[in-house]
Amino acid sequence: MTTQDTTPRTDCAIDADGRITFRLPAPADAAGARLLLRLRPKKGRPEQTLLHLGLESGAAIGRAHAVLEPHPALPEGRWDLYLLPEEGAERQRLRPGLRDLRALVDGHLRDRRSPVAVRVPYVTKDGFLALRTWLRSAHAEALTLGVEDRAITVTARLHGARLHDTARVRLRLRGTHTVQEVRPRIDDDGRGFSFTVDPGDLAAGAPHAGRAWDAFVRPAADAPPVRVGRLLDDVADRKHVHVFPEVRARGSVLRPYYTVDNDLAIEETVHSPTCPK
Amino acid sequence: MKICFLLHNAYGIGGTITTTFNLAGALAERHDVEIVSVLRHREHPNLTPDPRVRLRALVDLRKEADHPLHQRPARIFPAAEYRHHQYSELTDQRIGEHLTDLGADVVIGTRPGLNVHIARQAPRHVLRVGQEHLTLDNHSPRLRTALRRAYRHLDVITTVTEADAAAYRRTMWLPGVHVEALPNSVPDPVLPPADGTGKVVVAAGRLVRVKRYDLLIEAFAPVAAAHPDWQLRIYGKGEEQPALRELIERLGLWNNVFLMGAATPMEAEWVKASIGAAASDFEPFGMTIVEAMRCGLPVVSTDCPYGPGEIIQDGTDGLLVPVGDRDALAAALLRLVGDDELRRRMGTAARENAHRFAPAPVVAQVERIIDQALTARATGRRDAPAASRTGSPLTGRIHAARDTAHAAAAGALRAIRKGRR
Repeated sequence: MTTQDTTPRTDCAIDADGRITFRLPAPADAAGARLLLRLRPKKGRPEQTLLHLGLESGAAIGRAHAVLEPHPALPEGRWDLYLLPEEGAERQRLRPGLRDLRALVDGHLRDRRSPVAVRVPYVTKDGFLALRTWLRSAHAEALTLGVEDRAITVTARLHGARLHDTARVRLRLRGTHTVQEVRPRIDDDGRGFSFTVDPGDLAAGAPHAGRAWDAFVRPAADAPPVRVGRLLDDVADRKHVHVFPEVRARGSVLRPYYTVDNDLAIEETVHSPTCPK
Repeated sequence: MKICFLLHNAYGIGGTITTTFNLAGALAERHDVEIVSVLRHREHPNLTPDPRVRLRALVDLRKEADHPLHQRPARIFPAAEYRHHQYSELTDQRIGEHLTDLGADVVIGTRPGLNVHIARQAPRHVLRVGQEHLTLDNHSPRLRTALRRAYRHLDVITTVTEADAAAYRRTMWLPGVHVEALPNSVPDPVLPPADGTGKVVVAAGRLVRVKRYDLLIEAFAPVAAAHPDWQLRIYGKGEEQPALRELIERLGLWNNVFLMGAATPMEAEWVKASIGAAASDFEPFGMTIVEAMRCGLPVVSTDCPYGPGEIIQDGTDGLLVPVGDRDALAAALLRLVGDDELRRRMGTAARENAHRFAPAPVVAQVERIIDQALTARATGRRDAPAASRTGSPLTGRIHAARDTAHAAAAGALRAIRKGRR
């Protein structure tokens, strides 16, 4: 009995512009083979957005590569990757090899223009190669969070737009129209800003478990809100990597966190008085 | 040559598995190589072995966990071995059958209990090699006593450091057994090396006490204070995770220190960094140090027994600090973080110096060890200058007596405790 994992692995490397080169063992029919990127549809919906990339045989014998150019920008979502070995053949989902993402690590230092397009290759929970993309007309990159009893302070940088004096940060209670507004401190360049939230304001009213406030910034009084999140590095899933402490206010427990889409939110849970003193 | 490795569980994660896969793959260039995994609990191994290496398992826990023989304690696999509870009469039997029918020229064991199996059960005509990935000094006296008896029947014992090889020669009387340090090998990197610009310090390993990630996190506090644009990334998972998370919160380091979860392979993570770090209290070898160096990173490490001091050349390709010394660790990190030129120079030196752990030189050493042992057998001289290599019968006996006394005392204590219950 032999057990051999012979699944070919696909390496990828991304440059600072977002150009991704995929490298994999050359299929038998290298000329007819292609890579397929499929935007993962919502559950129960048909797949609609497909992208094909031609495979080229490179300098290394037995290897082939495909290049995903930075333009056009891809719609936001999660993309599954497949090899189409030849015309009419069944597609094969790609397993990950080495993902060289070093060019992304300091991505927050480069100012982006509108629209802000981000792509990060990652590995799915079940072990396949995939691509996470974001496409936003503007984006507010969260940089650091200060968490204290009386204040949650966020520093961030706006990409794809500029902040005016009338800019406001909005925390919106998810699923409602309830909004808390605070005035940001704006750097001279109109891009860097910071804001402070009083946990007590968010915990006002009856303590309520399972509520979450999503963070936005309106660059000007009449501008559409821009999501605050953290997209500009190599971490595709940061929910369990960037973890912040919790703050207690008015019987509630508040904790800033990044959502599964890497957007910044503050969740509220009720402080359970299990150990009264 | 036909070479067979005997491994505890090829389907798990760990340094021994990685290094065995690496060595087996490198040997497969010129030899017929098989890895036999005693246990198997999943369909695919976490690491992909070289396609030329055959892999098979003796006991499939997915189907045989309830086998009646698997409920009875192992008798050949020594009771004092760390993993005795995972072995049984079933493993005794399967390993025994495998070794009896072994069609190989060389059999290589990869942990003490399996080396004992090989010493006792491999046919006479097969060259018997026992690899030790832990260290003799850290084995219990009971285990040392068991090994002392069995290891005489091996041809070769390899340790991963010179220090451990010296411990074998000094405290075990193993006439005719060749003892030699054989470092773990790390495959040639595929990616371009780190260029020293990434403002990231990386550490990797299981999140367990002995790795002292708590010390590393504490040592990073002054680094983050002086250089807020630098981050520490710790890769791995384990029982210490919640405590480390708590420590990061308590020290207010959540913007700079990240528990990244497990990553295999690590190569693409090392190249994002420009410094590697290790804070262990004890490290039989230090595989991640070599991995980081091969990717072009200088490594800051505690000078713990035994590996780091034999891998890192202090001040040339990395920095060594005293074990458990948080301030010294912080100072060493600050020195490298604050000096781009030093970091780049040490990174280049690290890559050059770590080449001795590449598969090619390590495989050449394995082939030389095997050739010498085969020649010694053929000429009837099993490692002739034995006295100079494995101590003397007298010192060996003194250590043996000490271990036997310890083992007996420990046994008596156990009996007393049992009686009280």
